[in-house]
Amino acid sequence: MSKIQIPLGPQHPALKEPENFMLVLDGEQIVDATVNLGYNHRGVEKAAENRNYIQDIYLIERICGICSHSHVSCYINAVEEIAKAEVPQRAKAIRTLVAELERVHSHLLWLGVAAFELGYDTLFMYTWRDREQVLDCLEMISGNRVHYGINTIGGVRRDITKEQAEEILKKIKFLHERTSYYVGVVTEEPTFLARTQNVGKLPKDVALELNAVGPTARASGVDIDVRRDEPYFIYDQLDFKVITHNTEDVFGRAVVRVLETIESYKMIEQILKNLPEGPISVKVPWKIGPGEAVFRYEAPRGEDIHYVKANGTEYPERVKVRAPTLANFQSIPYCLKNGYLADAIITIAAIDPCMSCTDRAVVYDYKTGKKEVFDWEGLRKYSIEFYKKKGVSFK
Amino acid sequence: MSDIIKEEELVKELKEKFGAVIENASITRKTRVWIDVNSDKALEVMRFLKTKGYYHLSTITGFDEGEKLGAIYHITDHKTLVNIKLRTSKTNPVLKSVLEVYPVATSYERELEDLFGIKIEGLPEGRNYPLPEGFPKGVHPLRKEVKLEELNKMLDEKCAKEE
Amino acid sequence: MDTIMPLLYIAVFPGFVFLGAYATLIQWIDRKVTAVMQNRVGPPIYQPIADFIKLISKEVVIPDNADEILFKSIPYIALASIITTIFMIPVWGTPMVSFEGDIVVIVYLLTIPTVTFFLAGWSSTSPYSTIGSMRVMTQLFGYEVPLFLSFAGCAIIAQSWSVYKISEYFTQNPLMILVNIPGFIVALLASQGKLERVPFDTPHAKNEIVGGQFTEYSGRLLGIFLLAIDIEMVVLAALINAVFLGGLHNISGFFGFAIFIIKTLVVCLILTLFKVLMARVRVDQMVKFSWKYLVPVAVIQILIDLYIRLKF
Repeated sequence: MSKIQIPLGPQHPALKEPENFMLVLDGEQIVDATVNLGYNHRGVEKAAENRNYIQDIYLIERICGICSHSHVSCYINAVEEIAKAEVPQRAKAIRTLVAELERVHSHLLWLGVAAFELGYDTLFMYTWRDREQVLDCLEMISGNRVHYGINTIGGVRRDITKEQAEEILKKIKFLHERTSYYVGVVTEEPTFLARTQNVGKLPKDVALELNAVGPTARASGVDIDVRRDEPYFIYDQLDFKVITHNTEDVFGRAVVRVLETIESYKMIEQILKNLPEGPISVKVPWKIGPGEAVFRYEAPRGEDIHYVKANGTEYPERVKVRAPTLANFQSIPYCLKNGYLADAIITIAAIDPCMSCTDRAVVYDYKTGKKEVFDWEGLRKYSIEFYKKKGVSFK
Repeated sequence: MSDIIKEEELVKELKEKFGAVIENASITRKTRVWIDVNSDKALEVMRFLKTKGYYHLSTITGFDEGEKLGAIYHITDHKTLVNIKLRTSKTNPVLKSVLEVYPVATSYERELEDLFGIKIEGLPEGRNYPLPEGFPKGVHPLRKEVKLEELNKMLDEKCAKEE
Repeated sequence: MDTIMPLLYIAVFPGFVFLGAYATLIQWIDRKVTAVMQNRVGPPIYQPIADFIKLISKEVVIPDNADEILFKSIPYIALASIITTIFMIPVWGTPMVSFEGDIVVIVYLLTIPTVTFFLAGWSSTSPYSTIGSMRVMTQLFGYEVPLFLSFAGCAIIAQSWSVYKISEYFTQNPLMILVNIPGFIVALLASQGKLERVPFDTPHAKNEIVGGQFTEYSGRLLGIFLLAIDIEMVVLAALINAVFLGGLHNISGFFGFAIFIIKTLVVCLILTLFKVLMARVRVDQMVKFSWKYLVPVAVIQILIDLYIRLKF
C-alpha cells in the first residue's frame, strides 16, 4: 500500500494547543514524523522588555495556564538574585506550597487528558472531578484558580491563616486516598496497560542525548530533578523522593506522574505542619541591577529556565524563557517513529504539552449595558438555575 | 568560600586547557559559572565540556548589546550551570552551529536566526520558528533598534493590506 | 388488507418507527447511565431525538473527489439492511419471517452495515476516513468469526438454524442457557466490536483520526448513519436475547413484548458497562484479542455443545 501523509494539527480534536505534526504512514505504522511549532508565538519576550519588573510578573504568569506559578517563580528568583533580596522563610514556604499544589493540579489534569486520549472517559471524568479540590485550595490561598498572582518581588502577596491550612490538609488527605486509587488503575487496568506499555519508547541514552527533562526523562531512568539537584525555596528542608521508572515508555511516564503527585501530598503536609513564622515579603527597589541571572526551576513538566538581564532601570534589558515542553518536543519524533498511528496521540500527550483553562467569566448584558462579574460560587449557582429552567436537575 | 570548589576547579581547568580563549570567567554564586568565549573556539570548549558530563543544553539566549549581538549557551550537568557567552558583530552576525555537539539545538538556533537575525552556519534549512511564515523579511523583533510601537504599527499595516 | 399489513409491519411495528424510537431511548439510557457512572449529569431524555432532528435539518456537504451517488446512497443501504433483520427476530409473538437458516441471513445482513461503513470512508477520500475504513475492515476480521461461532454453538445445541426455533428450544430447556454462558460473553464482546464502541471504537477514534470513516459526512446523511448504528445496537441486543436467553419464552402479546424490552435493556446495560470500564485498545490488539481469546472460547463452547448434544 502507498504511504499516506496525515496532518495532526494545528487544529485537531486531540491537541489542546495549536501545534502541527506531519505523520507519514505506512498502513497503521508511522514511518516518519516532523514537528512544526510556533503557532502560538505571542512575543512575550519583547513585551517583557517594555514593561517594568512588577508588570512582567503578570505578563509572565500568562505564558502558561497550567504552570503559571512555575514561570513566575523562575523569573522572580532570577530578579531577586540580581537585586540581592533576602526573601523571608515564610514567603519561601508559601511559594513552595503553591508550587506543589500546582504540581498536583497539573499531574491530575495530565492523567485525565491521557485517559481521554486513550478513550478512557471514565478515568478522565474522575480525575478532573478530584482536581477541583486542589483548584479550590489554590483559590482559597490566592483568590484565583489558575493565574494565582501570589508572587511579588521580595515575597508573596497573601498570607495563609491557620484555618486555611487545616482546610488544605483535609482536602489533601482526601486527594491522597483518591490518588492511591488511581495508582491502582494506572498499574492494573488491562486496557490501560495494553495501550501504554512499550509505547513511545525513549531509551535512557536517547533521553540523555535529546536532553529530555522532567517526568519524561525520569520515566526513562534519568535521575534528574532540579528540586533536589539545585534546591530553591525550601526544598532542601523537605523530605521527598525523586521518582524514576525504568520502563522508558508511556506507562512509565504515567506511573512517575501519579507517584510524584503522592510525593507532593507528603511535601504539602510537611510545609503546612512546619510553616515558619515571620513577615511574608521584603521591600525591593523599583530599579534593579545592573546584573544578570539565570534560574532553573522544576515545573510540573520539567526543567523551566529563565534568564534575566537588568540594566539598572525599572525595565529589564532581556528576559528569556524556555518552557519545559520545548525541551521535550525534541524527543517526540524519535518516540513516534515506528509506532502506530493509534499511539501517536498518547505519545504526544505523554510529555504533557500545555493547555489553558479559565475560571471567571465576565457577562455583558446587552440590554442594560451592565457588566456583571461572577465568582465561582455565583457561576455555579447560575448554571444550576439555568439548567433547572431547562428541566435538568442536579442533585 | 568553600562551597564553590567545584566551580573554581572547572574554571581553572578550562583556563589551563584553552588559555586566552576563555575571558571574564566569573562565578556569581554556587552552581553558576559564566565565561566569555572567543566564538571561533566555542565548539571545542563545548566538546570538552560535554566529555566532562555537561551533556544538557538547557537553552540558548540571544542578546543585543548595541554594537554586538551574541548568544549565551546554558549548559549543565544538572549540578552546575555553565553559561558560555559568544559575541559577534552586528553588521555581519554569524555564529557556528553547535548541532554536532548538542543535536537538540535546532529550535534554539532557529530562534536566534528569526529573532536576532544571527546567521547560523551549518543549520539545515527549515521552516520559520517561532515567527510566522508571512513575517516581514529582515525584521528581527528582539533587536534593540526594533521598537515595539513601530513593530506593532508595521504588523497592523501588513494585516490591513492583506485584508 | 393483505398488502397493508406487511407495509405496516415494515413502516411502524416492528419496523422503522418502533426501532427508531426504541433505539433513541436506548441511546439515551446508554448516555445517561454512562454519565451517572462518570459522575456527570447526562443529557435530558429528548436529547437523542433533538440531535437527530438537528442533523436532519443541516446542510449536506459532499467532498469534490467523492463519488456522489455512492456517497449519498450508502447511509440508506446501511439503515435498510439493519431494519430488515428485525423481521426474523421475535419481538411480539412469532417473528414475521422464520425459516431454517434465517440466522445465517441475519448475520449476513448485519455485515452489510460494516461494509457500508468501509465504503463510506473509502468514498470520502480524506486521509482520516481512509484510515478509518481500513480499521473498519481490519476489525471486521476480528469480531465476525467469534460472533458467528458463538451463535453456531446455540444452533447446534438447539438443532436448528432458525432464530425462533432456537429461542423456543431454550424456553423449553432453560437450564441449557447456563451451558452457553461463555458463548454469551463472547457474543457480547464481539458485538461491542461490531457496534464500534469502547474498547473497540478505533475506526472512529476521535483523538486519533477525527471522525474516522464518517469524517466527511454531515447533515442528513450522518444522521441516518448514526440512527443506523443505534438501531444496530437494538437489533444485536434482540438477536442475543433470542439466541442465548430464550427470547420471549413463547409468550405472545403484550407480556412477551415487555419481556423483550426488559431483556434487551439488560443486554444494552451490560454493553454500556463495558464501555465505561475500559480504555480504547489499538486495532491490532483488538484483532489479537479476538483470535487469542474470543475464538478459542467460542470453539470450546461448540465442542461442549456437541458433547452435550451427543450424550443427552
